[in-house]
Amino acid sequence: MKAYWQLTKAQLLLFARNKNTFIWSLFLPVFMMVALGTLLGDSGGQMQLTAAVADEDHSAVSSEMVKELKKTSGLSIKEVDASLGLRQVKAGDVQLLIRLKDGLGKRVAQVKAKERAGSAELIQIYVDQSNPAASQIGTQVIQQWLNEYNQKLVHFQPAVKAKKIHVQSRPLEYIDFLVPGILSLMIMSNNLNGVAATIASWRERGILRRMQGTPLRASTFIAGQITARILLNGLQALAVLLVAYFIYDVHVYGSWIGLIAFILLGTLTFMAIGFIIASLSRTPESAAPIAGLVSFPMIFVGGIFFPVRDLPGILQPLVKAIPIGYLTDALRGIMNEGAGILQLWVPAAVLSAWLIVSFAVAAWSFRWDVK
Amino acid sequence: MIRVHKLVKEYEGKRVVDSVSFNVDEGEVFGLLGPNGAGKTTTMEMMEGLRTPDSGSITIDGLDGIRQREQVKGIIGVQLQSTALFDHLKVREILQLYGSFYPRMQSLEALLTSFDLKEKESDLVKHLSGGQRQRLAIALAVVHDPKVIFLDEPTTGLDPKARRGLWDIILRLKQEGRTVFLSTHYMEEAEQLCDRVAIMDSGTIIDLNTPAGLIRQLASDSVVEFMMEDVDEKELRELEGIKEIRLGDGFEVCLLTDDLRMTLRRLIPLADEKGWTLQGLRTRTATLEDVFIERTGKRLRES
Repeated sequence: MKAYWQLTKAQLLLFARNKNTFIWSLFLPVFMMVALGTLLGDSGGQMQLTAAVADEDHSAVSSEMVKELKKTSGLSIKEVDASLGLRQVKAGDVQLLIRLKDGLGKRVAQVKAKERAGSAELIQIYVDQSNPAASQIGTQVIQQWLNEYNQKLVHFQPAVKAKKIHVQSRPLEYIDFLVPGILSLMIMSNNLNGVAATIASWRERGILRRMQGTPLRASTFIAGQITARILLNGLQALAVLLVAYFIYDVHVYGSWIGLIAFILLGTLTFMAIGFIIASLSRTPESAAPIAGLVSFPMIFVGGIFFPVRDLPGILQPLVKAIPIGYLTDALRGIMNEGAGILQLWVPAAVLSAWLIVSFAVAAWSFRWDVK
Repeated sequence: MIRVHKLVKEYEGKRVVDSVSFNVDEGEVFGLLGPNGAGKTTTMEMMEGLRTPDSGSITIDGLDGIRQREQVKGIIGVQLQSTALFDHLKVREILQLYGSFYPRMQSLEALLTSFDLKEKESDLVKHLSGGQRQRLAIALAVVHDPKVIFLDEPTTGLDPKARRGLWDIILRLKQEGRTVFLSTHYMEEAEQLCDRVAIMDSGTIIDLNTPAGLIRQLASDSVVEFMMEDVDEKELRELEGIKEIRLGDGFEVCLLTDDLRMTLRRLIPLADEKGWTLQGLRTRTATLEDVFIERTGKRLRES
């Protein structure tokens, strides 16, 4: 226990005294966020949803509705027929299809003339659940718009008025999308690249071998590493989230416990992969490039800067196989949509599987010395 | 204290350590002397529990050095060749860290004082000089007050002053009653420090004795050295008392003799007669280096 605390303390001191730690793990993520947030955030950078609208009613009311929809901010509208629209949703070309069904105009006219009351489902919204962020936000935007439309239609006078405080319904911007991505990137690069380079170098320089000459057990050493890195990552994540909150008003809508749980899961998974790379590489000079080779493509296919859906179809199986996309999705789900752990069981399960397998391989391949 | 029996280690079919046996007594400084690549480090690392021998046995203080290696690690202290330490830890911090690996550690203050590191306790390891760094490496080897200490070439690369400082420390460890196992390729070091010396070459122990005992075994006890051009080996060989002639690079000539007086008495007139200039003529008594060259035909280190 004494050795565990001392090793954790020593590693934290090493982090604190190493300028690279600060540059790569604090300055860089914050810089990236500010740079991308400013560049892309101001240039109309609300999260743009593209919706297909199929007007099957062809009435004055329905074409009026299409016009209104086009004015809604955050939505760009394409007019199509229903079957093409559905195909586009499935292919991910548009995020949702709004179908204005036949009889809509007639119905509105009846309501206006007070001939009928009640409501009928004459508008259908098709979404792709595999793209939860877009489908949820899209549905919300349409529902809200429809709500206002209905209220106007019946000259609804609310008895009790609530002051609207924009929390959930603040339109999501690119920065909201970006921050969880940066957290994910940070967790991966700190742990995968950081562990691989550090451990390989300690092994090469004989630092590990010197420790092997003492009664210290490998498990104690690794436990110290894990604890120190979890603390470092927690601190970095907090720094990024604070900057995001104060500069860009980015909130964590979901539970902090869920967020911390996924940060932990990601840290452990990528650390284990880092340990494997450190064991595989014969020299510290080769550890960094191997780690780079593994992590660099993950930056592009992990949905960090742009949605995974935008990637060509040929890459999709790869995206589904590697852990980074799941971590990014989960962090984004919690932060942007307030998703609970139950909704995130898929990323949780995939990351856990990755963790268990990599940890087993890491433990099996761990070596104190070079030969 | 230590018993090593028929130790063998092979790498890629080559016997790096070939059936090495010796005993080390409690409280002695035991030296393992040999050139680079002789198998010294591999032998020590097997004794330290860092490598598993292919065959043979190691007993340290009654413990089986192979099967009970984890217990052995608790009673031995090691300083590895060119020990790398965490550069960004302070002296005090790294002593505490290594101390935490053992059930109990010596008083930190006592360690800092006795290794002359008190003034440097708050310095980062990377700012230490070579000598300070090496003192720290040995301090780390004794943080837990071990019975046996392994030092692998502790003074390699140090300047003479720092080397002497380290010798004092090693002699003090012996006075404290510890057993010290030391490898070196410095003759002088072995002569000054070691109670007994094993000479190792190409994976085997070729001789084991006290330093004085090893020198006594030499057929010749004195050495005449000088430099000359166009060496006439035949003429030199006929001088009285000559046992061996060694020619170095350049013009160095080294005559090993068991009768220094007669050799010199004949050498000078011979040189006058032939018109040789004997530059830098000097004589000395034989050292472990001469023993080593005689036994192996190799120099200990290229200098």
